[in-house]
Parts: sequence; C-alpha cells; structure tokens
Amino acid sequence: MFDNFPGNLPMSDSPLVVVKDLHFSRGDMPIFRGVDMQIPRGKITAVMGPSGTGKTTLLKLIGGQLVPDAGQVLIDGHDVHALSRKALFVLRRRMGMLFQSGALFSDLDVYENVAFPLRVHTDLPDAMIRDVALMKLEAVGLRGARAMMPAELSGGMARRVALARAIALDPELVLYDEPFVGQDPISMGVLVQLIKRLNEALGLTAIVVSHDIKETLSIADYVYVIADGEVMAHGTPASLDVDDDPRVSQFVHGEPDGPVPFHYPAVDFVTDILATGAQR
Amino acid sequence: MMVLLQRFGRRGCEGLETLGRAGIFLIQASFGVPSPEGWRLWLRQMHFVGVLSLAIVMVSGLFIGMVLALQGYTILVDFGAEQALGQMVALSLLRELSPVVAALLFAGRAGSALTAEIGLMKATEQLTSMEMIGVDPLRRVVAPRLWAGFVALPLLTVGFSVVGIGGGYLVGVEWLGVFDGSFWGNMQASVDFWSDIGNGMVKSLVFALVVTWIAVFQGYDLIPTSEGISRATTRTVVYSSLVVLGLDFVLTAVMFGGLS
Repeated sequence: MFDNFPGNLPMSDSPLVVVKDLHFSRGDMPIFRGVDMQIPRGKITAVMGPSGTGKTTLLKLIGGQLVPDAGQVLIDGHDVHALSRKALFVLRRRMGMLFQSGALFSDLDVYENVAFPLRVHTDLPDAMIRDVALMKLEAVGLRGARAMMPAELSGGMARRVALARAIALDPELVLYDEPFVGQDPISMGVLVQLIKRLNEALGLTAIVVSHDIKETLSIADYVYVIADGEVMAHGTPASLDVDDDPRVSQFVHGEPDGPVPFHYPAVDFVTDILATGAQR
Repeated sequence: MMVLLQRFGRRGCEGLETLGRAGIFLIQASFGVPSPEGWRLWLRQMHFVGVLSLAIVMVSGLFIGMVLALQGYTILVDFGAEQALGQMVALSLLRELSPVVAALLFAGRAGSALTAEIGLMKATEQLTSMEMIGVDPLRRVVAPRLWAGFVALPLLTVGFSVVGIGGGYLVGVEWLGVFDGSFWGNMQASVDFWSDIGNGMVKSLVFALVVTWIAVFQGYDLIPTSEGISRATTRTVVYSSLVVLGLDFVLTAVMFGGLS
C-alpha cells in the first residue's frame, strides 16, 4: 500500500533527481527552455552559470516551490509537481536546502533554529535533540553562538547556522544556494570541506549552485553549466577545464572577454551618452 | 470606452480570483488536528493578539462608556427619563458599540501586526524555508494566529462591554447623580441575554473571523518587498474596517430590523 509513498528510502543506483525538458518563464521572460539534467545519487553536482540565468529558480523548481510551465522534475521517481501538498511535504523531509539569505526563523535563537526540524519531525527526547543540535553547530563552528538571535549574526554566520539546520535531519538531498558568498577565507575553506565530508561520510547527494568556480570545482563530481535557459555544457570538472566551447572556457576560466557578454543588452554606449531628451 | 470596460472587467476578475484564493487559504489553514505543539503556539498568539490588545480595548471601552453616559444623560434629562440611562448605555454597548469598536481597534492593533509579521517572514524567506523543512506554514504560522484572533476578539468584546458599563456607571451614578437602583434595575429589566448579549457575541464572532482572515491572508499573499508589506498592512486596516461596518449593518438588519 505504501510502496510508492515518498517517505520510503529506496536503494538504487539510478539518478536521485531527474529534470526532464523543463520550461519555465516569469511573465513574458523565458528562464528555462528545455533543461535536462540527471543528478547522480551520492555525488556533489554543481550548477554554474552567469548571474541571472535562473540557478536559484532551478533549485526552487526542484524543491517544488515553483511550478514549471512544462516538463518534469523527478526526485527518486516521484514527479514533484504532481504530488499532493501533503505528499510533497513528506518528500521534503528527505531534503535540506540552504538559502542564500539563510532564512533563519527570527523568533528562535540559533540553537532552536537548528533543533527545529528535529522537534517537528522526530520524537527524540530533549537530551538527544540537544546532542544532535550541538553536533551540527560544532560542525559549522558556531556551538558557542547557540544563544544568539539571528538578528545578532553576520550574513556569513547566519548562512552557517542555516547549513547546520539544513543537515539537522541528515537528509538524502541537500540543495546549496550560493553557500560560499560572504564567507571569510577561513570559514570558506571549512565550508568547502564540510560539504565534501557530508557527502563522503553520509553519502548524501548535493546540488551546489555557486559562482565560486575554484571552490566549487574542487569538490564537485559533476558540473552543469547553464546559460540562456539551456544546459550549455556538462561533465566532470576536468573535462570542462579543457572544453573547447569558447563560452564554457570563458566562464570556467573567468575571462572578461568572450562570447558571453558582461553587459546586459543595451544600445551603443556612445549613442546613449550623447542622446538628448527626457529619457533616462 | 472599451478600454475602460476592459480595465473594469480585469479588476473584477482579479478581485474574484483573490477572493477564491483567500477562500482556499482559509479552508487549508483552519482545518487540522491540533497537536500539543499547536496548542502551545495558539497560546503564544493568544498572548500576542489578545493580552497585548487588552490595554487599548479596555481604555477605549471605559471612555466610550463614559461619553455615552454623559451624552445620554443630557438628552434623557430633558424628558425626565435619566433613570433609563443604564438601559441606554448597556443596550448601545452590547448590541453595537462593543462588537464594532472592539473589532476596529483589534484590526488596527493586532490585524496590522499580524500582516506585517507574516509578510516579513515571507520577505525573509522564512515561510519558504519552513516549507523546505517539510512543515506547512499554513498549519504552523497561519492557523494558530487565525484561531487566536477568532477566540481573542469575542473575549475582548466582553471586556469592552463590562468596562464600558462601568464607565457609564461612574459618570451617570457617581458624577451626575442618577439613582443607582434604577441604573442597574432598568438595565436588568431590559437587557435580554439571548437577543442582546447573544446577538452581540454573534456579531463579534463574525467580525473576529473576518478581521483575522483578512489580516493573515494579506500577510501571506503580499508582494515580499518593503513597499508590498506597507501596502498590505494598510489594506488590512482599510478592508477590515469597511467589512466590519458593512457587515454590522447587515447583521443588525437581520437581528434587530425585523428581517429575521
């Protein structure tokens, strides 16, 4: 009866997440025009691309927060957008997501934020919840900050607490949205190692959306580069490093000149500067 | 002309769509088996929307009762009917002023705060992160606030009436010298438990549902920017006030206007 219930934990080698021919637009502006992806189980997959290509949107589509215009997102064989609201919430217990802003609950302190998923989804006694929450906080280096409120934390600290919360239930799939932004070099290095260790020790599947090429490529097993609403390239970090496509090469090596424009489409600069009239 | 018609039609469709969304929202948020944790959250919200609204509601009730007695006395004394002051104060408060004024104050004090709080949680992605943790914010965030408002406002209305009648007594009996036996006696003889107190409470329950519903829906449905939060908070107070006054007329017509 419960064979297909999303709360079950199947063991297989098939990809954990499959994105099929995904189309999505905001108003009249298309974001994705037929994106296909396969996220392998137990690996770290990086999703990279220039700003504004919809990397965060992709994570929200995978998490079921946004509904695509066409196409499917399958997590462990379950079509995320065909699930009932209740079944979707059950499925999400197997996922963790690290938000760009941290998105900590402002009325709870650091400790309670990390303990929150444990309190709502488990029947563990308080003493055990305390042990788990402190272990997660220790992993991100903020055990000493347990009594602080989210408003007292810096942006980087808030994201580390959010990471501790995201992994509190040891999820199968963790979605990282720009985990390295705003981190000082020490915590950046720790975070990179932490994501890698979590993946190796617990075998969890990770999708990392990031601009930080060096750090991301150092831990990723597989990389998707998206641009112009499509998958521009995919492969292992080593294969992308020697990719002939000038667009991929420009992005991976961070070159300012190349086929991917730095400027948002606009009229010629000189014409714009010399233009007179009321227009801004 | 066509453009005007089109615009009018579009606004109408958008309004209907919002109303439909709000209806589904209410059904999704209000049903569900309360867990022990749910009771705790509800109690916390009772403190936030109920206890913290006590001061403004009680003080307003006191002054409204006092003014009512003062104004009523100056008219009734011309007809030698100042002994009916207690009856006048009690009926005005129980039937009309308590449910309506308490609801308006509640919309301004607690409704706007609910909208701003939920809106800010949405703007800072707290609601989304809750969803991603596998917790439904409709159950966890919205439902306790909705039920707290539904229970708190009728209780505040009772308090408003009691303090208001007390204010009327202070001015009418203690200050202006109306005989206290006739103040209380006339009140007791004329106020009917079901038709006056009961109908007043029915009104208050309806207002409580509507005001809290508007407040939490506006918070949940707003555009998550600072301007969006500001607009939604204003909308909560404006819509709540208009709907309370409009519904009050309808309910009064049904309860006391011979339409029932």
